[in-house]
Amino acid sequence: MRKYYKFWRVFLASTLILFTGCAHYIVNEQSREFDSESGYRFDAIDPGPHNSDSLFVCLMFSGGGTRAAALSYGIMEALRDTVIVVDGQEKRLLDEVDCISSVSGGSFTAAYYGLFRDRLFEDFRVRFLERDIQGSLAGRLFNPVNWIRLASPYFSRIDMAAEFYNSDIFDAATFESLQGEERPFVILNATNLGANRRFDFTQEYFDALGSRLDLYQVSRAVAASSAFPYLLTPISLKNYPVAEGYTPPWWYEKALTTEDWITERYNAAKNLKVYLDKENRYIHLMDGGLSDNIGARGILDALDRGFIRTRINQGAIEHLVLIVVNARTQSEDQISRKEKPPGFFTVAEKTATVAMDNYSYDSVTELREALYRRVQTQKNDQACVALLSEYCPEAPKPILFPVDIDPYVIEINFEAADQIPGEDPRYYLDLPTSFKLSKEQVAKLIAIGPKLLQTSPQYQCLLEVLAAKEEGRPRPEACPIGAGIFP
Amino acid sequence: MAKEYLVALFPRTRRVMINGQYMGITNTKLELESGPYEVTLGPPDNFTPEKHDIDLRDTASLKPRVVVFEVAS
Repeated sequence: MRKYYKFWRVFLASTLILFTGCAHYIVNEQSREFDSESGYRFDAIDPGPHNSDSLFVCLMFSGGGTRAAALSYGIMEALRDTVIVVDGQEKRLLDEVDCISSVSGGSFTAAYYGLFRDRLFEDFRVRFLERDIQGSLAGRLFNPVNWIRLASPYFSRIDMAAEFYNSDIFDAATFESLQGEERPFVILNATNLGANRRFDFTQEYFDALGSRLDLYQVSRAVAASSAFPYLLTPISLKNYPVAEGYTPPWWYEKALTTEDWITERYNAAKNLKVYLDKENRYIHLMDGGLSDNIGARGILDALDRGFIRTRINQGAIEHLVLIVVNARTQSEDQISRKEKPPGFFTVAEKTATVAMDNYSYDSVTELREALYRRVQTQKNDQACVALLSEYCPEAPKPILFPVDIDPYVIEINFEAADQIPGEDPRYYLDLPTSFKLSKEQVAKLIAIGPKLLQTSPQYQCLLEVLAAKEEGRPRPEACPIGAGIFP
Repeated sequence: MAKEYLVALFPRTRRVMINGQYMGITNTKLELESGPYEVTLGPPDNFTPEKHDIDLRDTASLKPRVVVFEVAS
């Protein structure tokens, strides 16, 4: 009998060591050859037959668990149901979406649409939105087999979550599948804990890591984007030597001159340098919301020096439409109504959220202001040409932009629900941030999305301007260029 | 972020390359971040000089930085 117990003790100990030793997170693959024209990058993605550059649409999906995923899903339904005519071609506004930049909960909707397109409207509600994702993750946590795996220092709760997302939501898809699709280009944002900076799952970042994104599971990128601190753990990536023939992006060259240290270009170059420094052998990623809870920074980068900037300068973009789907909540201010100062937990919660809320607000403001500055510059140029023509017709005219752009920044948030009859913003502003909402809550979130979009004066201007243009009518007086930002 | 303005003049319409990236066409105004850049033109290779190394700053929309390319003889 004693011999029997001894056998089992040895067997169990060996099994534990074996499983623990084997359990390791999926390591990203090394890239041997650099090709700047392939991989998951905007310029390598086929626009598709219904997508024009002249109407350039980017969506931003914020964090906020299932609440954010459901609101962004509602907006996707609204874009699907909005029919527009561009260059004589009737199409859905959804077909004109060129990019989606997402964070945390919003990344589930973005990645699902990126991979499965209109299947989003068939089964995403059942597979994700109406499901108790938290319960499913907790169920795995209580499985004894996973206890053994979790004992490994190289396998953690986030890897278990990524496995679940991979098998139950994303059908084991890798970025190769995303790459094979047409636009939109999906930017899944996470936060690099080592550098305290935004990281996105695009080949440009993976080039700097000397790694192949095409072989990486989309579920792991979404898991990193939504790895809520403390509840989940970081997703780790290996930083390899760069592939043979690697050249950094065009804007990186000479960007790190000390004279320019206050510029965004310098900051972006410094961010990329983190990955080119091979002393940083591993990158540990958590929730994208820690560095940008709106997904706006990826779009700002594209506007400053990425695929939006090149297309603006090339004269390809006429209408630039940025739709921010912001599922932020705001509890009623009870603090200011009490004489007693707030306690430990309230202060802790405020410490974690105040800076991020302000940063998110600033990001959207920066988008608006950057585009409005462009509008003002265009107006100044036109005014100068008109004055010269009137008072000094012989004088040389200033050189103009290839195309004057007509920008729109459309922000969807729950505060605007007070403009919708029968809706109470407080219902939405008090919803929790979790991966478990009731079917009723999900249904209400999905339904409010299209209503909020319709309520936006910027969105109404966009539809009126597109319709007028297509019908050969003059631009509506109520919607001059710039009204898409500040109506 | 503040932008700077650049115009590459050339007697013909040609691609303008910034640090090797196709950024726009000649004789139109381009909007870029400040800092150093290498400006050249796309093919055919019949222009001079071969490139301009510039430090783009202190421009205005009505007073952009102008770089001139000529047809090579």
